Amino acid sequence: MVLVLALGDLHVPHRAADLPPKFKSMLVPGKIQHIICTGNLCIKEIHDYLKTICPDLHIVRGEFDEDARYPETKTLTIGQFKLGLCHGHQVIPWGDLESLAMLQRQLDVDILVTGHTHQFTAYKHEGGVVINPGSATGAYSSINQDVNPSFVLMDIDGLRVVVYVYELIDGEVKVDKIDFKKTSTSNSAP
Amino acid sequence: MVRKKVPEWLNSTMWSTPPPPSSLNDDALLLRNSPSSTKMSSMKKETDTISVTPPPSTASSVPSPSPRPRRNGSSSISGEYGNSSSSVVAPSSAEDFSRQAHLSAELSKKVINMKELRSLASQSLPDSPGIRSTVWKLLLGYLPPERSLWSSELKQKRSQYKHYKDELLTSPSEITWRLVRSKGLDNYELKSGSRCMLSRSRITDEDHPLSLGKASAWNTYFQDIETIEQIDKDVKRTHPDIPFFSAESSFARSNQESMKNILLVFAKLNQGIRYVQGMNEILAPIFYVFRNDPDEDSSSHAEADAFFCFVELLSGFRDFYCQQLDNSVVGIRSAITRLSQLVRKHDEELWRHLEITTKVNPQFYAFRWITLLLTQEFSFFDCLHIWDALLSDPEGPLESLLGICCAMLVLVRRRLIAGDFTSNMKLLQHYPTTNISHLLYVANKLRSKMLV
Repeated sequence: MVLVLALGDLHVPHRAADLPPKFKSMLVPGKIQHIICTGNLCIKEIHDYLKTICPDLHIVRGEFDEDARYPETKTLTIGQFKLGLCHGHQVIPWGDLESLAMLQRQLDVDILVTGHTHQFTAYKHEGGVVINPGSATGAYSSINQDVNPSFVLMDIDGLRVVVYVYELIDGEVKVDKIDFKKTSTSNSAP
Repeated sequence: MVRKKVPEWLNSTMWSTPPPPSSLNDDALLLRNSPSSTKMSSMKKETDTISVTPPPSTASSVPSPSPRPRRNGSSSISGEYGNSSSSVVAPSSAEDFSRQAHLSAELSKKVINMKELRSLASQSLPDSPGIRSTVWKLLLGYLPPERSLWSSELKQKRSQYKHYKDELLTSPSEITWRLVRSKGLDNYELKSGSRCMLSRSRITDEDHPLSLGKASAWNTYFQDIETIEQIDKDVKRTHPDIPFFSAESSFARSNQESMKNILLVFAKLNQGIRYVQGMNEILAPIFYVFRNDPDEDSSSHAEADAFFCFVELLSGFRDFYCQQLDNSVVGIRSAITRLSQLVRKHDEELWRHLEITTKVNPQFYAFRWITLLLTQEFSFFDCLHIWDALLSDPEGPLESLLGICCAMLVLVRRRLIAGDFTSNMKLLQHYPTTNISHLLYVANKLRSKMLV
C-alpha cells in the first residue's frame, strides 16, 4: 500500500503565492511514500517544502524551473507499476493525447504523469494510463485562465491503483476516485 | 547472626549436599526409565550459593521447525542426593513418571476435574509434547472441562478471532477495493485496448488517504502506525536466542507475524491500554507452547488460541500496565508492597537487611519480576515450568507469583544478607539459575505456612 503524491505547475512565486491552505493542511508528513512532480515549481523553497512532506522526491524540468539540473523525463518503478514523468511542454501539441501516448510508449511505462496544461485529465489507451494532476496552486496557463487547484494521490497496492483526485472548487476540497488495475506483471509492449 | 526467625526446614543440611561427581550422571541415566523427555535438575550446593549446572549448550538449539521439541531447558542429569530424602527435595524420576501417568489419565477423562488438574500442574508439568498446551488451555478457561464441548468451543472462538482480524487488520486500501468490488463497479484494466477518458466517482464520505476525519479508516490507520512500529520492534527482539522466534527461516517469520497480529488485535480492541512494551514477553511462552503442539489442528490454530489465552492471562494483570493506576490499590506499587510484606512475614531479618540496611527498594527488582511474570529472570524453558505453577493457582496467577518471588528472595538470603546495596542489586537483577522444582517447592511451602 504505497501512497504516491503527484502534483506540479505551481509557478511559485510568479503566478501564485503558495499552495491553498486547505491543501497544505492535508499534506502532512509521514503518510506519503513518494512524491512525483511534473515541474514548474519554480523555486527552491517549494522544493524544500515538498521534501519535508516526503523525502523521496522526483522532479522533472518545466520550462520555468529555476533549477536547470532537473531531468527532462524520469521513470521509476513503484510496486508492480512503472511510472513515467515528464513536464509536457516538450510534447506538441500540448496536451494532445495521441502524442502523449507516443511518449508513453517511448518511455515504456504503465502510468505517465505529465502537466503543463494546468488541467486535470486521466486518460486510458492501449499503452497505459496518462494522468495530468493539473496545477496545485491554480496558477493560470497560456491556454486557460480559470484554473481550479488540483493534485493527485495514487494508492498503489499490488496490481491495483486507486487514484484520488483532490480539487479545490469554490473554496471546498472535493475528492474523486478512479480505480484501475493491471492483469499481470509483464509489461512488454506488444 | 540470629536465626530464630528462619524456618528450620530451610536451614536443614539437605540443602548443603556436596556437588555430585560427574560419574554419577551416567548411572542416573541408566536408572531412568521415564518415557517422557522429562529430565531432572540437579542441585549442587555450595555453602552460600544456590546454583545448578548451567543449562547445557544444547538447550538453546531446540530444533524449531519440528513441532516436538525435546525441551532440555535447565535440566541436566541429576546425581543422587546421597540420601533418601529425595522425595522431599524434588520428585524422583519414578514419582515423575507416576505424575505424568496421572496427568494423562486426568486429561483423557470425559469431564476433567479442574481441582485435580490444578494441583497436578502446580508442581509443574512434564515436558512431553502436547500436554502443556492442553493443560494451559484448560487452566486459562479457554477449553471447558467437558471434553465434548471442546470442538464447538474451539470452532466458535477461532472464527471469532478470524472475524476480529478481518475487521481490524485490513488495510484501508483493501477496504476500498472490497467496496468497489461489492458495488460491482469493477474497474478499468490497464492495457485492455479501448481508449477513453477514465471516469471519476466522487467520494462523499471523507474516506481518502489524506482525510483527517475521525471516522476515516485511513486516519485510524495512520494513527495506528506508531503502535504497529512499536509492536514490530518488540516482536523482533523477543528471545533472540531461540530459533522459534528469531531464526532467519520462514517459520520464525510466520511466528513473528502471528505474534504481531495478536498484539495488534489486542491493542485495537483495548483502546484503554493499547500495546505496552512487555506484552510480547507474556505472549511468547503461550504462543510457543501452542504452536509446538504436535496435534495438527491445535498447531495450525495456535494464533487464535494464543490470542484468547493471552487476553485471559493479561486480564488479571491489566491494571499493572495502566500508568494511572500505578499508585492505586490494584496497581503495580501495591503488588510490590504486598511482596515486601510477604518477605517481612516470612523472613524478618532478610527484609530488614534488604530494605532498611541496604536500602534496596523492591521496585528496583520486583517491578520486572511481577509485570513480566518472571519471563526475564529465568531461561525460557524454566519459565514454562514456573508458568505451570502460576496458571494452576485457583486464586489467580498473582498469588502464586508473589509466593514465588518471595521464595526467590529467601533462597538467596545468605548472599543478600552478606551483600551491600550494589551486590544485592546485581544479584536480584540477574537472578542466578536455580533448580526450578526446588523453587516451586519452597514457594508452595511458604504459602502453606501462611495459611497456618
